[in-house]
Order: sequence, then C-alpha cells, then structure tokens
Amino acid sequence: MSVRQAEAAAPTAPTRPVVLRVVGTVWRSYAFRRILKAVLTIYLVATFTFFLVRLLPGNPVEVYINTQMQRSGISYDQAANMAQALYSFDPGEPLILQYFHYLGGLLHGDLGNSIGSPGTTVGSILVAYLPWTLFSVGLALIISFCLGILLGMAMAYRRNGVIDHVLSVIGSLLHSIPNYLLAIMIVVFLGIQLNLFDVSQMRGAYSPGVTPEFSLDFFSDAMYHAGLPITTYVLTTIGSWMLVMKSSTVETLGEDYVTVAKARGLRDRRIATAYVGRNAVLPLFSQLAIAAGFVVGGSILIEQVFQYQGIGYLLFRAVNDRDYPLMQGIFLVITIAVVLANLVADLLYGRLDPRIRIGGGER
Amino acid sequence: MTDEPVLAVRDLVVEYRTAAGPVRAVRGASFDLYEGESLALVGESGCGKTTLGLALLRLLPRLGSTPHGEVRYRRADGSTVDLLAMRKEELRRFRWHEAAMVFQGAMNALNPVLRVQDQMYDTIRAHRSMSASDARRRCHEVLDMVRLEPRRVMPSYPHELSGGMRQRVLIAMALLLSPRVLVLDEPTTALDILTQRSIVDVLQELRRELGFAMVFVTHDLALAAELADRVATMYAGRIVELGDARDVFAGPRHPYTAGLIRAVPPVVGDATEISSIPGGPPSLAALPPGCPFSVRCGLSAEIGDDGPAEVCVQADPELARVGTRHESACHYSDRVEFAREVITDGV
Amino acid sequence: MTATVGTSTLESPAAARRPVRPTRNLLRSLTRSRSGTIGFVLVALIVLVSLVGPLFTPDTLPTDTNSVYLPPSGSHWLGTDSSGRDVLVQVINGGRTVIVVGFAAAVLSTLIAIVFGSLAAYLGGVVDTIVVAATDIVLTVPQIALLAVLSSLYHLDNTLLLAGLIGILSWPTLLRAVRAQVLSLREREYVEAAQLLDLGTTRILSVEILPNMASFIVMNFMIGMTNAIYALVGLYFLGLAPLAGHNWGIMLNEAWTRGAIFDSDSVFYILSPVIAISLLQLGLVMMTRSLEELLNPRLRQD
Repeated sequence: MSVRQAEAAAPTAPTRPVVLRVVGTVWRSYAFRRILKAVLTIYLVATFTFFLVRLLPGNPVEVYINTQMQRSGISYDQAANMAQALYSFDPGEPLILQYFHYLGGLLHGDLGNSIGSPGTTVGSILVAYLPWTLFSVGLALIISFCLGILLGMAMAYRRNGVIDHVLSVIGSLLHSIPNYLLAIMIVVFLGIQLNLFDVSQMRGAYSPGVTPEFSLDFFSDAMYHAGLPITTYVLTTIGSWMLVMKSSTVETLGEDYVTVAKARGLRDRRIATAYVGRNAVLPLFSQLAIAAGFVVGGSILIEQVFQYQGIGYLLFRAVNDRDYPLMQGIFLVITIAVVLANLVADLLYGRLDPRIRIGGGER
Repeated sequence: MTDEPVLAVRDLVVEYRTAAGPVRAVRGASFDLYEGESLALVGESGCGKTTLGLALLRLLPRLGSTPHGEVRYRRADGSTVDLLAMRKEELRRFRWHEAAMVFQGAMNALNPVLRVQDQMYDTIRAHRSMSASDARRRCHEVLDMVRLEPRRVMPSYPHELSGGMRQRVLIAMALLLSPRVLVLDEPTTALDILTQRSIVDVLQELRRELGFAMVFVTHDLALAAELADRVATMYAGRIVELGDARDVFAGPRHPYTAGLIRAVPPVVGDATEISSIPGGPPSLAALPPGCPFSVRCGLSAEIGDDGPAEVCVQADPELARVGTRHESACHYSDRVEFAREVITDGV
Repeated sequence: MTATVGTSTLESPAAARRPVRPTRNLLRSLTRSRSGTIGFVLVALIVLVSLVGPLFTPDTLPTDTNSVYLPPSGSHWLGTDSSGRDVLVQVINGGRTVIVVGFAAAVLSTLIAIVFGSLAAYLGGVVDTIVVAATDIVLTVPQIALLAVLSSLYHLDNTLLLAGLIGILSWPTLLRAVRAQVLSLREREYVEAAQLLDLGTTRILSVEILPNMASFIVMNFMIGMTNAIYALVGLYFLGLAPLAGHNWGIMLNEAWTRGAIFDSDSVFYILSPVIAISLLQLGLVMMTRSLEELLNPRLRQD
C-alpha cells in the first residue's frame, strides 16, 4: 500500500531546484495544457486564414491587385499599396514579412479595413455585430444544455415509460430537422400564417431608435429580437442533448458506485445529483465544443432567416459584397469564439472530474 | 449467542427477466446466520452466489426480482422484519444501519468524482443527524480500525488510492454505522497476495472486536477455510452443501464440493492429486433434468451404467441432514469419498 | 491464499468466442427495431423516387405566368411556384443532387475518418498525438462559415467539388468515434492473438478490426451524410452555391427570396422541399439511432 507513496517520492528528489519544480507542475497542470492548446489552435487558424487570403490560387489580394492594375492602369506596386490600405500587411513585401506583419496586426487587434464600407476598420464593424451573436448563441446553448440534461435524466430514470417514449420521438424529430428549416417553418407558420407575431418588427438585434444601455427596457427589447433565433437554436440542439444524456445516464445507473450508494441508504435525490447526474454529464462536455461550433457556424443561416444582425448576418453580407478583409476578420473571430467556448467547457470539465485535474491524465 | 438467528433466509428465489423469459439465478436458498457467526458462500462464477449476496440487501439490478421467499432480520430489540416486504423508505433506513455490504474494491464501488470524506459523510448524513466534528471523529475511528491514515485518505479521490486502500475504505465505510450484519462480496478478489493477506487480517481482527455476523461471497476456498465458521456451497442457483467449515473441508458430502477442493493445490507439500471438474457450469436458462450437477458428476457416472445414475437424472435432491450440523443435497451423499490431505488449519 | 477456483480451468468459453461478422447481417440489424425499419423504408423510398423519378418527369418545366402560386389541385398536386411550374415535379427532380452530394461527401469523410482514426488508435504514440491534435483543430472551425468564405473565392458550380469540400471539412467527429472504437477493439482477445502471431498492422486492421466495425462504420457514414446534407442545402438556401439546375436547396432559396412565404396559397410550395429534406434527415437519424442501440445494448428497450 505504500507503493504509491514511494513512487511519488522517488522522482521529486529534493535536489531539484524549486523553479524547475514549479515549472514542471505548471507544465503538467491540466488548465495550462488546455490554455496552451487553445492559443495554438488560434495561431494555426490565423495562419490558415492568411494562407486563404494570400496564398491560395485566386486569392483575394492577388485578384484585387490585378483588377486595380487593369482598371486604373497602375503598376503592381501601386496596386499593392492600395491593397495595403485594406489589409494589415503590404502585398509588395516578401511573403514571410507579410505573414509577420499580419500576425503583428492581429495581436494589436488590427484586422484591416472594410472594402464594403470604405474607411471603416473591420474591428469596429465586428464590435457592433459580434456581441449579439455571442448573446443569442451563448444563452441558447446554456438553456438547451441544462434543459436537455434534465429531460435526458428524466428519460433514463423512467425508461420505457410514457415520458421516455414521447421525448424520444420528439428528440429524434428535433435532432433531425436542420435548424434553418425549423426557422423557416417558424416564420411561415407562426409568423405569417397564424400571425402570432410580427416577424418584420423582430428584425435586427434591437428596435430602431433604442440605444444600447444597461437597463431592463433595453434588455427586454434585445430579448424580444433574439427570441426567435434563441428558440430555434434551443429546439434544434436540445434533442441531441436529451438523447445523449439519456444514454449516458442509463450507463451510469449501471455503475457499481450507484448500487453501492443505494446500499448505503443514501436518499434518492442525493444519488441522482452527486452520484448519477454528475458522472453522467461528464461525457457531454466534450460535445459542448462541437455544439458551440455548429451553432455559431449555423448562425449565418439562422440570422439570415430572422434578419438578426449578428456576426452570421454580417458574414453573409460580406460574402455577397466580396468584402474579403471583413470576411477574414469574421472568420477569425468566429473561430476564436468557438475555441474559447471549447476552453471554457474543458476547464469546467476539469473542475467536475478530479481524475483529469489531479493525476494529470489526458481524456 | 442466542438461539434466534440474526438473519434467516427461507426458500429465496431470484429471477432475472431476459429476452428469452425469466431465468432463475437463485432457486430456493435457505440458511440461518447467527450472531457473530461467519458464513462463506462458495462456488464457481455464475452459480448465483453474488446474486444471493445482493438479494440479502435487496440490491438486485433493475431486471432482477424476488418472486418468492423471505429474508428475515432480527433487530437488536428482538423484533424481526422481512426485508422483502419492506417499503422504500423503511428499506433505505434499514440498509447500512442494520446490514451493510463490503463491495469489491477493484470494482468502481466508489464515486470517482467525490472525495472519500464526502462519500463517508454522505453515508452518515443519510442515517443520523450528527455534528460535523462528530462525523469526522467517527470517520477517523473506522479508518483507524482498518489501519488507514485518516488524514491522508479522507481528502483523497478514489483514483488516488491503491486497490488495497480502496478495499479498506470500503470496509471502513461498512463499519461507519456499526451494523450487526455484514455482507462481503469477493472482498479480496483482484488484489495482490500481500494485500489480500492484510485485508484478511483486518477482517479477522474486526470480527473479534466488533462481533458482527458476516456472509461473504467468494470463489476462494482458502479464504473460506480461514474466515468462515460455516460454509455453503452453491451450484446452479442452489445451496448444495451447508455445514461447519471444518466438517465441510475435512469431509465434503457433496461431490461438487469435493471437486472444488480437489481443484485447489495445497499450499504446503506436494499435491497428491489436483484435478478440475470436467465441463462448465450449466446455463441457468436451460438446466439439465434432475440434479443439475449430474452431467459433470464423477460419482453419478460411476454408479450409473452409461452416463449419470438414474435417480440423479430423475430428481433434483433436496438438502438433507448428513451430520449434526451438516447438510448435503446429493442422492448418494453417503458415497462421496474424499481422501486427501486438506490444509484447513495453519495456512 | 493463492489458490482460487474457477480462474483457469472453469472459465466460461464465451469470453474467447469471436463475435459474428456483422457485414451480411447489416440489413437485418438496420431493421431490427421498429424505428430502424421506418427510417430504412423512408430513406429507401426517397432515394428510389429521387433516382428513378426523374426518368419519368420532364427535364424542363414550362413557365406559365397565368398559374403562379397555385394551391394544390388535381393537375398540380402540390401547387405551382412563382413561375407557374409544377412543384411536385420539382420535388421529384430535386432530390438527386442532394442525395448524391451527401453520399459522396459522407464517403470521403468516412474514409478519412476510418483510415486516420484507426491508424491513430492502432499505432498510438506520435501518430496518435498528431492526428488527435489535427482533429481538435479542424473541429473548432465552423464548417458553414468556412464554406461561405470559400464560396466567395471559388465558383462552387461543380457538385463533386462541393461534395469534396464538405467531405474534407466534416471528418473530425467521425474520426473521434472511429478512434475510440478501435481503441476498445484493440484490447479484445482475438486482436491480441493476431498481434502475438505477428500478422502485421495492415492485416490486423483490415481483417480483424474493421470487419467487426461494419455496423459502426455504417452508422457513422449516416451521421456524415446527415451533416453533409445539412451543409449542402444550407449553402444553396443562402444562394452561396450557384443556382443552376433543380434541387431542394434551390427550391428553398427561390421560395424564400421570391416572397412565396407571404402568400398563403403557396405554403405547399415552400413546405415541399422543407418536408422532403426533413424526412430524409429523419430517416437517416432513425437508422443511426437503431444501429446505435444495437451497438450499445444498454440503450435497448428491454
């Protein structure tokens, strides 16, 4: 029994300097590794974006320069200078320098200038649109996750009962209908055929004439406009949370420690929360990141249907306007948002599962 | 010891629902357990011994049920209660307080996401209202009893403990509320030999000090020989032999028990004869007619002309008295021969 | 204390038994449960109508400005669209592209997932680390957003190119699942035995591991197809893929952008592609779920 203690004592010989030991501990810590991974992912995506904008055949920078040269009859260098005003690097420089200038610009939050709205920085446009997507998508994910977990557990506890069967069918249905189709149906049926609400008034992130501020009025106005997107996101993601949580709970209910907890005479409520629920929810965290990516990506479709002015709506506009610097910025920001959501899910997971936090095992 | 058993099991039947219809895993088991006594349930895997152990606390999985039988406990005040007739809340209060169970430490018996102390406090809080410091003191007490260091173990998570430590924690947890009956399910399985030894020592010592009665399920005959006052051999869901450990190991009166003992090599000295029982345990869903052991039974084959003896195929024998405190369920229990140096003492 | 009964001599023979190869039982396992059967029939029906139907319907439909947005009637079962064309014929003709592209994309992403997922799980070490890291990174890139950006760079008029792009972007979730499955299969006895016999990586993977994963692969293929159809129709709906030919995505786009939603007579027009796509997706999901139950017996309704 003392084998473990002996093992633990052996490698950390007292001769090792404190600094090294601290560095070693930090390096091995779960949180540090996750943060490092997030940073690395963002760096790689930024590099990929540069590749897309600058290096791929038919890349927008080259296309822009060529069009300017043909249209205005100017030299390559002059056209490259014009491109420089749009992007955060000078296309006339050697590629490697362009790359470093691009990365340097990113670090300073410089994402270049919009083509569609001349004289406006991409950063300032993003600041106006991004919060609405984060707000609606984030809120929807939280609602759907929590509700899905509760319903999934209810299904597992009463499996083969009426609740289970009804929710299974509803879950499968919701899970299989693409979210934009559900959005279309909401607009067509509830908005226009039944006229339950005025879809055209619900456009935008908030009503015209209202200024963003920290007040209840503004919040309820924002909720009014975000209501339909949030409903759509929740309805189309809750099905899979329910079904996954059900199977995970069923599996956990078969674990020995649940039987043991029953044998110990614990109250049902305590067993359901601390023994079944907490263990059953763990595998769902790795899927939270996938769901976040899916919903954020899907916002381009949903925000288009509801004309909700978030980042997805903006991306659609940028694509139609061929506003490449803006597209590049949106793409980066969306990906960073997903990476950060991923990181939060990972850290939460670490908080809930001591096997990850202590003992430094990878999943 | 009083004359009344602390636990009396009568004709207990356990059924599992399967796709092919109900299957009986325990087919009418009866035995008594007296205060301070220790009873071993031995047999091959799949003979129903673990199912029987779980049924003693009504811990069967969802698909299991007990259509028939009684599991009667006698409380400290002398009143008796049938576990199978208990209501949910009554059952919850009864568990652990009157009868606790030690599960296999090698299994996932501890919740991986809670510290040991939280799981111990959970157990106390479910049954008693106790101040935090009293609860803490009680936990220290029981951990000391199993020779664990409370300060190190309490704040740990299960995965930080070795298999042997987890097994001790489970034993300590079972002692928390001073139960009068302890059911142990393979308490030493999957532990290395030295750890097994120390667990056995701890159990011996605790039994001497605390005087609880225990039923332990094992496939380890040496463990049974060492820890048990009485032994019950199970085969195909039935108890086929029941008697004092000394009697059973020195002179088994059922060919199955004899076969089990012969399959274990002696620890000291040369084996006079080590042989396994031919064939495997029968499927509980399709038992052979008559005595379920007859198809593998050497004795029956010896008596019969071609295959098992006629009476063995015709009737499943009931447990019948073969000695003062010794019962066997065999048509030819008087013809079971067993001549072998068996090492029951001094292992 | 050493001797135990029943460890070596009395071990039940079931543990060493090799699982039955599920390949030829695939159809049977798909239709094992009621929901699986419904899903199978649904998908089979839609595929059949979409592949065979166009042979019996006219390629180009006459436009008729006098019969715009007609409600369903005897001559137009699902009404007409903004140019007076029959909606039913469009629904029948519009499935092929969606199904073919979805199928091709799923084949590609499943292939990538199987090859790299099983190699990563089987070889472990550096290969595994790299594959897992790459998967995690690609997983964080929102697929539709990237497809939208790419659609502005390239003219996505070639359906095969579209299928390729979608396939290349949607392998990560499948790869994760394949890797986990191979990791667990790797531990089983018959694989261990093959390893001890030194049969070689390729042989072990292709002969011992993959055949035992047939149901699992089909299940993941269907998940891949569901995702591909989602992305494809989404692109058409946004008008980011060129609106040429007939398919459900284009119908959706036209119905939406030409204001069919505001006309109560044309509800069937906009609803037709919506329902067609939803039914196809529902069928695929139902099949997936029934296979999942088969692979994970604890989920079965007992």
